[in-house]
Amino acid sequence: MAENAEIVVELRDVVTRFDEKLVHDGISLQVRRGEVLAVVGGSGSGKSTLLREMVMLLQPTAGSVTVLGRDVTAASEIELLPLRRRLGVMFQDGALFGGQTVLENTGVPLREHTELSGDLIDEIAQLKLLLTGLEPSVGALWPNQLSGGMRKRAALARALALDPELLFLDEPSSGLDPISADGLDDLILQLKELLGLTIVMVTHDMDSLWRVADRVVLLGDKRILGAGTMTELSRSVTPGIGKFFSGPRARVAAREHNQGASL
Amino acid sequence: MARPAKAHADGGLVFCDGDWSALHVATAERQLKSIRLAPGEIKIDVSGVERIDSSGAWLLSRTARQWRSKARTVDFVGTSEHIRQLFRLIAEQGIEGEPPRPATHGFLENLGRDSLNAATEQLAFLSFIGNITFSSLRILLTPARLRWSQVVTDAEESGFDALPIVGLLAFLIGVVIAYQGGVVLIQYGAGIFIADLVGLAMLRELAPLITAIIVAGRTGSAYTAQIGTMMVTEEVDALRTMGITPIDLLVLPKLFALVVMLPLLTVFADLMGLLGGMAMASSMLDMSFQNFVDRLGQSVRLQDFLVGVGKAPVFAAIIASVGCYQGFRVTGSAESVGKQTTLSVVQSIFLVIVVDAVFSIVFSALDI
Repeated sequence: MAENAEIVVELRDVVTRFDEKLVHDGISLQVRRGEVLAVVGGSGSGKSTLLREMVMLLQPTAGSVTVLGRDVTAASEIELLPLRRRLGVMFQDGALFGGQTVLENTGVPLREHTELSGDLIDEIAQLKLLLTGLEPSVGALWPNQLSGGMRKRAALARALALDPELLFLDEPSSGLDPISADGLDDLILQLKELLGLTIVMVTHDMDSLWRVADRVVLLGDKRILGAGTMTELSRSVTPGIGKFFSGPRARVAAREHNQGASL
Repeated sequence: MARPAKAHADGGLVFCDGDWSALHVATAERQLKSIRLAPGEIKIDVSGVERIDSSGAWLLSRTARQWRSKARTVDFVGTSEHIRQLFRLIAEQGIEGEPPRPATHGFLENLGRDSLNAATEQLAFLSFIGNITFSSLRILLTPARLRWSQVVTDAEESGFDALPIVGLLAFLIGVVIAYQGGVVLIQYGAGIFIADLVGLAMLRELAPLITAIIVAGRTGSAYTAQIGTMMVTEEVDALRTMGITPIDLLVLPKLFALVVMLPLLTVFADLMGLLGGMAMASSMLDMSFQNFVDRLGQSVRLQDFLVGVGKAPVFAAIIASVGCYQGFRVTGSAESVGKQTTLSVVQSIFLVIVVDAVFSIVFSALDI
């Protein structure tokens, strides 16, 4: 990754406080175009909150968030609209609309923001569903008929509807069996290559971190404990970082990764 | 910013230029559709395309496919590496035919399905009533098993918290009746009968009915929404797996709380309605409170009061059981919660009024 690549998301000294509870105390990070940045950390470390701030669902208490060159902490909701069309968000449980079929769900951004004909929208939605590895017949199903993995894929298809430049994924592989999780990881990598996406993901999954992430940011103790590639972080001797990346699960994932690399 | 996508034809050559991304490709879609093809081979020139995403690429490739299906040879010229990549991506998905849509049914089939649904709905409600009755009887034998703290909380929410709105509305109804009745009664010099009118109308009919309708809208809907949301989040299933009957935990406390609170609310509505009538009588007819109360004592019998309050527990049972039943009918989605909540309020108000009418007939037959 070139060091001078364009910066698409930048957080500067972000402080977040809910009532008395301090969640972030001065977080600064940058996302460069074309990379996959993973945000990791223990439960309650404020990963998802950070993601919500980047996708403009939550205003930080202090500090600034810049998305695609625009300071979103100072902008009004109307000013943010054009920006929102340029990013896709996949929520943890899919957040598919229950009253619409999967195909209609996927077409929602197209229907809302373009003047394309209904047929074309359905076809594009179908293309996105197939891209995420779903069977052609899934489009006619309702969200509550889907399994967890299918729901994630459908949510990913909807996030990709407008071919966003920036894709945010909240726990993409949580709640999936290892094979589905691997499949989703591959899919994310493939789509990133094909569509030229920049991806910010929040995850717990050590395998995903090794396979997908170009760079990893470790949150803990209200601030960033470490940032870098997985290899760098896993070799770190700083106590907080070492502990996170040297648990039994992390070691297995690292070993598999290194074996895979040496084969 | 790039120009919106455009397409125009010149003989066998179709030129495409501009920004072929999803947000800017709508005009091009219409232009491509209106192109009348010249006979012979067709070339689509995409060298003028400045930007393209998968939606634009899909539009190009589906157009090419449509033209090919009319036995034409279609070729792309001037494709960039990016466009070729997108075409490859689309080709790999092997899209064939129309996107699937949920099956739709003909009129007769819909009629049949709706009738069957309506019938099973009635049956399910009956079995729910039976279920509640059975559980209630069982719990009455062992009252210690009732979740009393839940009953108290529900009683506070459905009863105590409703006092202001019930009181205000009952007062206003009292005012309105006294005013409308008073206008007529004065003409006959029968102003004193205003107490009879307000007393009998409020105590026998209006106070129980108004209270039940308010509570159906306020509490019945809350019951449906609460249980419905618990159905969506699988909390009800969680209770079942822990060996806790959802009816015991969710329905019976609400039912018992409402059966106790609705009569009490009705008594409060009686009082406030009479107060409203008194206030109106004193301001319009110069009838003192003392006179009003004296007249009330002569005209209204204890059984008029009991008839009104006695209907309240029945109304309460209707509201609570319909509210909870509709909650359990929720399936899967947020939309369903809204639908069942509406149904719950409409059905409970409907049933309350129907049952009230039945009561009137029965009471007049029994001469109460």
